[in-house]
Amino acid sequence: MQLVPFSYNLRSLLVRRSTTLLTVVSIGATVAVISGVQALQQGFVTIFEKGGRTDVAVFLRPGATTENQSGFTRSSADILLKSIPEIALTDDGRPMSSAENYMAVRLFKIGGGETNVPVRGVQPMTMTIRADDLQILEGRTFQPGADEIIVGENLTRRIRGCQVGEVIRLNTVPFTVVGTFTDEGTFSSEIWGDLERMGDALQRSVYNRVIGVLRPDVDVPALIEAQENHPQVPAKVMTEADYLISQTGVISATLLGLGAFLAVIMGIAAVFTTTTTMQAALAARTHEIGILACLGFRPISILLSFLFESLVLGVLGGLVGILLTLPLNGIETGTTNMITFTEVAFAFRITPQVLGTAIVFSIMLGLLGGAIPAFRAARMTAVEALRRG
Amino acid sequence: MPIRLIFRNLVRHKLRTALTVGSLAIAVFLLCVLRALVVSLDAGVRNSTSDRLIVQSAVSLFVNLPASYVGKLKAVEGVDSVARLQWFGGYYQDPSSFFGQFGVDPEKFLGMYPEFKIVEGSRERFLTERTACIIGRQTADRYGFKVGDTVPIIGTIFQRLDGSPWEFQVAGIYELESIVWDETTIFFPFEYLEESLKGGAASGPPGSGVIYIHLAEGVNPVNIAAEVDGLFENGPQRVQTTTEAEFNAQFVSMVGNIPFFVTTIGGGVLAAILLAVINTMLLAGREQRHDMGVLKALGFSDWAVFGVMLGQGVLLCVVGGGLGIGLAQLSSPEIAKLLGTMFPGFEMTSEILTNACTLSLGIGLLSGALPAAATRKLLAVDAFRRGA
Amino acid sequence: MSSTTATRTVVDLKDVTRAYSRGGERLVVLDALDFNIDEGERVAIMGPSGSGKTTLLNLIGGLDKPESGSVRVAGEELMDLTPPELARWRAGNVGIVFQGFNLIPVLSAQENVELPLLLAPLSRSERRAHAAHALELVGLADRASHRPGQLSGGQEQRVAIARAIVSDPTLILADEPTGDLDRASADSVMALLARLNEELGKTVIIVTHDPLAAASAQRSVHLDKGRWKSDGEGA
Repeated sequence: MQLVPFSYNLRSLLVRRSTTLLTVVSIGATVAVISGVQALQQGFVTIFEKGGRTDVAVFLRPGATTENQSGFTRSSADILLKSIPEIALTDDGRPMSSAENYMAVRLFKIGGGETNVPVRGVQPMTMTIRADDLQILEGRTFQPGADEIIVGENLTRRIRGCQVGEVIRLNTVPFTVVGTFTDEGTFSSEIWGDLERMGDALQRSVYNRVIGVLRPDVDVPALIEAQENHPQVPAKVMTEADYLISQTGVISATLLGLGAFLAVIMGIAAVFTTTTTMQAALAARTHEIGILACLGFRPISILLSFLFESLVLGVLGGLVGILLTLPLNGIETGTTNMITFTEVAFAFRITPQVLGTAIVFSIMLGLLGGAIPAFRAARMTAVEALRRG
Repeated sequence: MPIRLIFRNLVRHKLRTALTVGSLAIAVFLLCVLRALVVSLDAGVRNSTSDRLIVQSAVSLFVNLPASYVGKLKAVEGVDSVARLQWFGGYYQDPSSFFGQFGVDPEKFLGMYPEFKIVEGSRERFLTERTACIIGRQTADRYGFKVGDTVPIIGTIFQRLDGSPWEFQVAGIYELESIVWDETTIFFPFEYLEESLKGGAASGPPGSGVIYIHLAEGVNPVNIAAEVDGLFENGPQRVQTTTEAEFNAQFVSMVGNIPFFVTTIGGGVLAAILLAVINTMLLAGREQRHDMGVLKALGFSDWAVFGVMLGQGVLLCVVGGGLGIGLAQLSSPEIAKLLGTMFPGFEMTSEILTNACTLSLGIGLLSGALPAAATRKLLAVDAFRRGA
Repeated sequence: MSSTTATRTVVDLKDVTRAYSRGGERLVVLDALDFNIDEGERVAIMGPSGSGKTTLLNLIGGLDKPESGSVRVAGEELMDLTPPELARWRAGNVGIVFQGFNLIPVLSAQENVELPLLLAPLSRSERRAHAAHALELVGLADRASHRPGQLSGGQEQRVAIARAIVSDPTLILADEPTGDLDRASADSVMALLARLNEELGKTVIIVTHDPLAAASAQRSVHLDKGRWKSDGEGA
């Protein structure tokens, strides 16, 4: 089977360049919207996935799905902290586990408006557990027992009072910002301070959760089951990685759902546009089709020729869409995690998955858009085409 | 102006006209839905009244106000009544089936919210029975709850010590006169919760999350808010007192960039459709170039020729836009049901539809004007050049 | 159109020059040309390709303007008219027949013929009647509802002639009216134009390079490179 030279198609696209351009940019806008939404979803998921460690266990009260719903009395927490054999020990024989306080605190955004910022009170052991994850960027870490806090990097640009040396009042107690820190996950959107000082200021007598580093050989499912049925302190146990992934559910699903909805709706419109353009190409090239058919090119070759042309339109549109989306990469935004009602800062991320979806999507748009004109072209007889052209 | 040419030329290319009208309808529908999403976000703010104030902890949404505050607030001059409200945060069957539950002081709460209409069941039962609840129309429809049913809710913040779910009897189903709240929430008596905690049947934080104040007539809400804030300035819990509008606005601001985000998507949709319609009209213009030259040679004015092209663009968009608007209007109750709790105020307002009309017309004028301007400048002699 | 008045000049071109610049080069198409046609004449303008025939016809029809000279047609100095005025003048005074027929494909024969009447202050029924009459005149009353695509070339050209005469113009201009037709169709079109000239007193100007077509005219003139050939010009 002899294929119609592809250069015919490229020339045809070039000759009708204004139509080609309009179609390509129109498809591009569609692809850009879909990719933008997906980049947002990827950015959101990334911070939760990156931050989660599989060797850290999170203990919550049974029935709680997030740490702000969870709570342990001091005595229960003490049992968890000291008596779980699966927890690794430090060089000097202390269990590497720590109790934490967690509360969404009302603070003001730099641009105006309020938001709920997660404030975490931690024990000194937390800092040991997180030694590799957390990096102090500026200043120093807080002193145990002092009214000092350190602020996650994402907050310094978004929330008022978060620069080193400034003071943030929690209820009636002023805390001094002594440092800023960064972390690959969600901690970068949090404020950290001493557990007991935080508890006093916020009048919280209970701890929200306990975390602990697991020994390398721990059978996690067994631990989960054992702890659920623990006679003294029943608790829900998850690895930190699992815990964080469970937190992304609603928003991630919403964004994916929105992306799919837009892809279908806008995709139909984009297919219509491509069909219109290819239909015009068909009209302009009817005579040429007649000649090709006379010369002995088979209908399938003519069909493929038209499909190729619309495929080029689609892929060019995809590339334009990606170009339009690329500047988004790294742009920070925030949303409220509707489960914990706390603000999470994250950035658009153009991952390979986003690029792959964009290309596959635009190829589909091109092929579907070219289908009707291609079939019409292939079904035309030589005589008919020459007469109509 | 040969008006017939407008119709004839559109009908001549049935496929192209249908595709363009189709994509316009889709795009206009989408723009209406996106716009309605944004508008629905502040439904609670728009429908707020100035005779209700909300007292909440100045520290955090999750810090409760001590029980003693109720009495102190009642004593403030200008305060007509006070109702406690507690976010319950439980779930029905599984955590993804999300709708809000609040413990409230039933009589006080319904007293200050005349917007709540009990359309089925008995208001009286809700006011008197300990474990009664009222359910919003949307949630009732979604899960098939009827008056008299028992609704089991699994607690997260508040847990019964025996591990069983909380059970509420549906006393009534409410609808809202204006979307100041949403029709998905379940309200039950706060006292039931309070007693369960005190009696040791359940665990959870004491006090109430927020306290609603209904003001006496003619009282300046700003003064009262300042007075209440001053009352607790030195603890034990600092409070922040806001009007209902400000309180609701705080939740809108919490979702952050959604309006901007949705508007950006809308911009993308608009760009895609505008280019698509311009494409169609340029194709039409190129095809009819020769015909337009003939019209000129026959003595038709430049503007008559302009009108024939412009008319095609406008007609396309009026039909496409009209279909989209109709679709948006017809489907909006279904979409509202689908979105449920996330966008409780979802509604196709006449303003959105009017804007969509204007927008469609604008797209039509612009997309028609481009080829129209090009053909208007055609010279009549072009008609002599074959196949021009 | 009454023809009781004494013969008068319908077309009066004086010292008309039309040139185009192409790639910086000046290309003179009509060179200081004079041309007169009396009312009721049937004139054929002949000449090789590029001799300026069509340009001359465009000038007479008010579709184009010369660089210099005077173009008086049907009592009006066209040089003084603005483009909108020219369009209006054209609608009332000339009917044009094109080589490629130039019918509007989406309109029926009847509607195509009616088209120029939209520019006249006529009612819908008057327009219908006039168009039907014109179609009858060209012998196509039975094809009124057909689209151009459903007609033969000869029929299309006769519809185009009906369109040219429907507004009762003084002057009928035909640019290679038989160029796309077979001999038989060409003859019938030429016969039709002759009839319009003889029976209705229309002044007919035909641009052609078909000697047979030209032979049916009362007078032939020959253009070559923008000037009259020696035998021609009947000033």
